[in-house]
Amino acid sequence: MSEFIKDFIEKEKINRRNFLFASAYGLGGAAALGALGPTMARAALTDPTIAWSYRNRTNPYWNEIVSGGEAFVQSLGMSKDALTHLINEGSSEKSLADVKAILAKTGGNLALAIDTNDAPNARPVVEAVAEAGAYVSTLWNKTDDLHPWDFGDNYVSHMSWSDEGPAEQTARILLDAMGGKGGVVHLGGIASNNPAIERLNGLKNALKDYPDVALLAAEPADWDTQKANQVMSAFLTRYGDEITGVHCANDTIAYGVLEALRAEGIEGMPIVSYDGNPQAVQLVSERKILATVFTNPHWGGGITAALAYHAAIGSFKPSEEPNEHREFYGPTIMVQPEDALEFKANYLDSVPTYDWNDFWGPSNGPITYK
Amino acid sequence: MAITQTTTRAGISRDTLVKWAPLLVLLVLCAFFAVMEPRFLSTRNFARILIAATPTLMVAIGVTFIIIMGSIDLSMEGAVSVCAVAFAYCFLWLGGTLASWAWLAIPFAMLVGAVLGFVNGLIHVKLKIPSFMASLAMGFVGTGLAMVMTGGDRIRIEDELFRALLTERIFGFPLMVYVAGLFLLIAWFIQTRTTLGRNFYAVGGGEDLAVASGLNVARVRIMGFTLAGVFFAVGALLAVGRIGIAETATGNNFMFLSITAVVVGGTALWGGIGGVWNTLVGVLIVFVIGNGMVVIGLPGYVQDAVLGLLVILAVILSTDRKSISFVK
Repeated sequence: MSEFIKDFIEKEKINRRNFLFASAYGLGGAAALGALGPTMARAALTDPTIAWSYRNRTNPYWNEIVSGGEAFVQSLGMSKDALTHLINEGSSEKSLADVKAILAKTGGNLALAIDTNDAPNARPVVEAVAEAGAYVSTLWNKTDDLHPWDFGDNYVSHMSWSDEGPAEQTARILLDAMGGKGGVVHLGGIASNNPAIERLNGLKNALKDYPDVALLAAEPADWDTQKANQVMSAFLTRYGDEITGVHCANDTIAYGVLEALRAEGIEGMPIVSYDGNPQAVQLVSERKILATVFTNPHWGGGITAALAYHAAIGSFKPSEEPNEHREFYGPTIMVQPEDALEFKANYLDSVPTYDWNDFWGPSNGPITYK
Repeated sequence: MAITQTTTRAGISRDTLVKWAPLLVLLVLCAFFAVMEPRFLSTRNFARILIAATPTLMVAIGVTFIIIMGSIDLSMEGAVSVCAVAFAYCFLWLGGTLASWAWLAIPFAMLVGAVLGFVNGLIHVKLKIPSFMASLAMGFVGTGLAMVMTGGDRIRIEDELFRALLTERIFGFPLMVYVAGLFLLIAWFIQTRTTLGRNFYAVGGGEDLAVASGLNVARVRIMGFTLAGVFFAVGALLAVGRIGIAETATGNNFMFLSITAVVVGGTALWGGIGGVWNTLVGVLIVFVIGNGMVVIGLPGYVQDAVLGLLVILAVILSTDRKSISFVK
């Protein structure tokens, strides 16, 4: 078992233990409050509508996110249809309009989990939610000057991922597999996307320690399998045998690269990717991909909804939590050939039943700004 | 003497230019990329370009028939996704290898494409909804349907026999290129040797005249959309053959690529002009640019800009704008 997974499981155990203590303590506290009589000044919501606002379900990543949201709703004893889906189809305008519409419909009795599609859209969404007295947790997109603690309890939390570090680790695995020499090509995401930029930076950071490896080219493949297939074919024309390793910004790109190599009868080219989709993990276990990074979107989607919901019904008071409980990084797990099958059995074949009250357990520390 | 020469030259430049401009553009592009990077001209690279181009070629041929009629079909992305997913499920359900009854999944997928196209045409003709709106809406329905069928998952087709489309090569080109060539010839046959093909031109060249001469235009239109659906399905099959994955995203990008290719190839958007050979040249132009840009090392975002400029250039070249009184 790799260090990463060992650490992760160890961390989980400790967190679970802490959580049990904390909840026992919390229950005692709540009972004491109840015994003492007066209700809280600001009444929490009862039975709020739970909604997830996201791009669409065609994308396997967002499909995982929302399945986590559904699992959370089911953990409350409701059917998974009780989760309201607001689908923005990549439009920030629609994202904001949907939020305003559901705020009007529910009269502010709402617990909202949202990726606002782009960073500038986070502020109007949060302001609309706060004004209506509803509760919101955001994922991925927000501007650096927007913070949950500036909105009292209504802006519950923000979770994001920093991909630069993990992408650098996969790059090192790749560069070692290449024997520290030769040429590497990078196929990236949509050029302006933050994760695409960070993942390329990760590769560049790693390359500093490998002076004999040349970065031959870095082209956007737009997170798309077919585009990646085309770009890789063209790379093969331009560089031919000079390419001795491929760094992919995500798994869907890696699939296209693998097929482009297969068409040429090239086998055993070192490739690393990102995201930890089930198919990619399978390919890692077969050593066709050397490493991928799992960011546990299922947990991310569930816990974002859980945070908004529990803040809304008053299970905890966000403004009393430290800042690192309100802006934090999501989990990352490196998956390599030795532990891929075990990882797959534990996380993908049967999705683990998460404790949706363990809000911060698997998270990865406070968000830092450059 | 001088006057005669000028008229002759003018005559040649107008007609010949319109007819041969797309091919000329293709040759100039190839020459340009070859000078910049000699490896562009290798057989292996042409094989790579053709592998990338064949699914789009099939889709573009389908939509060529519709554009010749003066209509447009924008349902390709949804249609390709549905056909790909329907094929994959049917293929795996029937045994998962071409050596079993699973080969029936291929005609099944083409049937699914035909049905989608038929419904598309029916909505357009019977409900009198402009083809632009009807087909765009049908495309969304298709994407949604594929989404419901897969639940967002991707289906892998691992069968070595089916994947031979990509992995088996004859004279350096994989089988899928020959399959696409066969369907190109079929399309050419339909266009030139069948009543249906000639009726497409009749409808596109002047619908009033066609109606006045007793042509059942509604029937021609519905058959056109059905035929386009079949070609979308063939495109879907080749797309699955190329990357071994069927998913909702299989249809992504086909709209932009195929419409661009048809227009760049010299088929006029108002109908009656062009044909499948134009589309072949158009598709090759689009994919030679895509490949060549990476091969000579230009950044990817320049590609879209170049394609956009080429569309405008193609429309300027392929139409006699003096004969059009106004443009909507």
